[in-house]
Amino acid sequence: MNMNLRLIKTLFILWAFVFLFVGASGIQPQETKKFPFSATLYKLKNGLHVILSEDHSLPIVSVVMAYSVGSMNEQPGKTGLAYLMENLMFQGSENIGRMQHVSIINRVGGELNATTTVDRTVFLERVPSNQLTQVLWLESDRMKSLQINAAKVEKAKQEIIADIRSRKASNPYLESYWRFDQLLYPSFAYSHPVIGDEADLQDLTVQDVKDFYNTYYVPNNAVLSIAGKIDRERALMDIRKYFETIPEGKEIPHVPLSKSPEKMQIHESMESDQVPSPGFHLGYRLAHPSSDDFYVLSLIEYILLRGNTSRLHKRLIKRERLALHMNGSIEKRYPAARFKLFILNNNQFMVQRTQRAIFSELHRLKTSFIPSEELQKSKNMFKMDYVDQYTDSLSRALFLAEEFLFKRILINPSEELLKYLAVTPTDIVGVSNRYFGEDSVILDIEAK
Amino acid sequence: MKHGSRLTTVLSTLILLLSALASPLIAQERFRRTPPIPEPLPELKIPEIQSTSLWNGLTLWIIQKDNLPIISLKLIVFAGESSSPEGLPGMATLAAHMISRGTSDLSSSQIEEEIDYVGGSFSTSVHPDYALFSFTFLEEHLDRSLDLLSRMLLQPSFLRREIDTIKRNMYYDLVEESSSPDFLAKRQMFRLLFENHPYKKGTFNEEVIKNLTQKDLVPFFYNNYRPNNAHIILTGNLDLETASRKVRRYLQRWQKREMRPALPLSPESNKKIRVCFIDSPKAKDATIYFGNVVIPAANPDIFPLLVMNQVLGGTPNSRLFLNLRESKEYAYQAFSQIEYYKNCSVFFINAKVRPEVVEASIQEILNEIKLITNKKIPTFEIEQAKSYIIGNFPLQIESLADLTSKVAENKALNLGDDYWKRYYENIMLVTSDKVFELSRRIPLLTPVVVVVGDSDIVLNQFGKSIKEVGIFNNKGVYLGTYKFD
Repeated sequence: MNMNLRLIKTLFILWAFVFLFVGASGIQPQETKKFPFSATLYKLKNGLHVILSEDHSLPIVSVVMAYSVGSMNEQPGKTGLAYLMENLMFQGSENIGRMQHVSIINRVGGELNATTTVDRTVFLERVPSNQLTQVLWLESDRMKSLQINAAKVEKAKQEIIADIRSRKASNPYLESYWRFDQLLYPSFAYSHPVIGDEADLQDLTVQDVKDFYNTYYVPNNAVLSIAGKIDRERALMDIRKYFETIPEGKEIPHVPLSKSPEKMQIHESMESDQVPSPGFHLGYRLAHPSSDDFYVLSLIEYILLRGNTSRLHKRLIKRERLALHMNGSIEKRYPAARFKLFILNNNQFMVQRTQRAIFSELHRLKTSFIPSEELQKSKNMFKMDYVDQYTDSLSRALFLAEEFLFKRILINPSEELLKYLAVTPTDIVGVSNRYFGEDSVILDIEAK
Repeated sequence: MKHGSRLTTVLSTLILLLSALASPLIAQERFRRTPPIPEPLPELKIPEIQSTSLWNGLTLWIIQKDNLPIISLKLIVFAGESSSPEGLPGMATLAAHMISRGTSDLSSSQIEEEIDYVGGSFSTSVHPDYALFSFTFLEEHLDRSLDLLSRMLLQPSFLRREIDTIKRNMYYDLVEESSSPDFLAKRQMFRLLFENHPYKKGTFNEEVIKNLTQKDLVPFFYNNYRPNNAHIILTGNLDLETASRKVRRYLQRWQKREMRPALPLSPESNKKIRVCFIDSPKAKDATIYFGNVVIPAANPDIFPLLVMNQVLGGTPNSRLFLNLRESKEYAYQAFSQIEYYKNCSVFFINAKVRPEVVEASIQEILNEIKLITNKKIPTFEIEQAKSYIIGNFPLQIESLADLTSKVAENKALNLGDDYWKRYYENIMLVTSDKVFELSRRIPLLTPVVVVVGDSDIVLNQFGKSIKEVGIFNNKGVYLGTYKFD
């Protein structure tokens, strides 16, 4: 009861979008107001999107430079390019020396990081707020004029190859993850590992790298998201100074993705003499990540496998002790997200029993309404994780950038959250019947 | 030779010419050539901390942060490892982990359900001075969360089955941690630095866990887990009045008790350099920990020490890293840091080096310290270190969890309000002279040094400057001493 009232109240406080016009520059900002924070979206002449979120509580500013490129943009035979590019972005540009970016941020007491995923390459800095222009200078230089040469490419390649080898050596299940992605994702874009293939990496040329950089590291394929103690007008002026003179790139090539329907049942097994215990991967094809079903599926993820009190954890690990380890999640992919589960067991017999137990849990989800206390628990856990995505300046800048790349708008997190919290027991029964059918993908791992 | 250099000249002229030709196309704006000059750092408004005490002696600290629907709660109980009974190290750790393992009316799985229900996370850590419980939850569940906390503190069940589970976890955690050279080296360093002090109890190994029983746990818990021996810190969208009313509602039944006098005095510093070794067969690199007992954080000299630490080994731009890694190429990394206790701090250096150059690396670390104690640090280096500390400080208190942790640490170490409010100012006041004066007073040149590495490569290189090495196994047991003449 109390909860509902609070939600309604929140609905009134927060709120929709206000459109403004800044005449001469042609910048059309889109703005979200107030609770839980305000943010404004701009588009520069060269296509760069900029998000600014002011917060004056501490003298900190966080900068996220996100490029809409990842391993999905790689061609067969050229895998590993996206991650290699991330590495090269620290190796110097026209006015900034090798690793100077890192030492400058370090010296002022700041922090920095970078990540590459299937569909994003993100560079981030959290620094004292008087260092904003310094970060803009650094980020714009490597967007405009990265210095790529044979020696740098070779060094980065060798580092990544060493990294692939050490990951393989330390995780005997790694190759099963990769094989499973091939089974689960029919399109090449999603079925190869982000880190790349060793042989492909060896063959990459300097020209390949330059082409990739020139195609994807352009203002019209990026979003610059800044949160913290900033003066919006002033920051925008500086951003335009450093970024608007970078020429717009060509149109971004379209990535071929297989179209639905692609449903069919797959059950394969692989043998390995490296793995200490047998286990399996299990997957389902789900809804489009921006469909309404996705809100329900996100809660199903919590009900089934988030935390020690989730249904699968309680049944497989605690109560029946069928599994030694489990992890899983929903991956946002197009045109359909995927549900993924990885389990380790003591022996092959337990593998069979665990699979039957999972199917029976899915059956329960499809045939009986979830008790309201349990649903509320999952929603509370979900809410905590959701809110936690924007609690400090860096996570907020990242959240805004990622949501922008995902939906191409400035999302209002409070409104979005309400859609998850509105999910009902009936929704859960309906949606689980729609997606957890016969067509599962299973990869058994047998220990030799 | 000559021919070569002429060729280079010709080539570079060509390149110059080419770039001159191309320049209209690739010309860049002037402002890109050099970094912009930063403005002065804006003032830091440190969040205000309010406090009150309940009649049963429980101290409550509130930090109001109104923009998030989350509350972060920290409970400090002064029942750290140094309060474990004599002969029973590990008891404080067991007790701390037992509070979430069952109450008179909730099983451990029901407690887990309750924590998940409030959107929460609950974690426990045990320091030599105190046990720290971190509980984060959604603000609308403040009552339910405090109710749960009060059941855990006031009606723990201490079932044998649950005690065994925690003991098993403690055992396997320690076994697993013992595979890390950093863990072994650091634990050994603390064990020797705190040799004659109750702080040593915090360095126990897995063998002592079997001695912990329900019979000893129950009195330990009821002697130490008392409101007048505890603090609660709450951060979130709440004011002092509401917070204290709610805490009172759930925790006023918690009975106070006369506490035994606090810890003995500060541990003594190590007086003569002492080098120890733990064998880690086939280890690819050698791990060095090098440290000594110094002034506590409450001492005003802590500020020059912080600046000195920054100059010496705070970041990859500091002296140790630049010397041992960049210039000598001995080390993969070399840093220094300070760990705080109520009655002292430990200043230490840790480095990962090539195993063939362990003795040379120790010598190089000593040289860097001698340099600091013999020659004043240039002002620009001091200023650079200060700007790092000042710039970095707000980053350490930005998230709700970090802010609450920082305040909890200050309260646990009894640092007082001024430490918090005047932190910036005190760092600003540090000068090269003050650092120099302090560096000569603290015992940096007589450290305990622990090396973990492959004995075949490491041991036979000693003897040039280090004549004696104590040998320990990976459980911290003394095996003997090697003497080199």
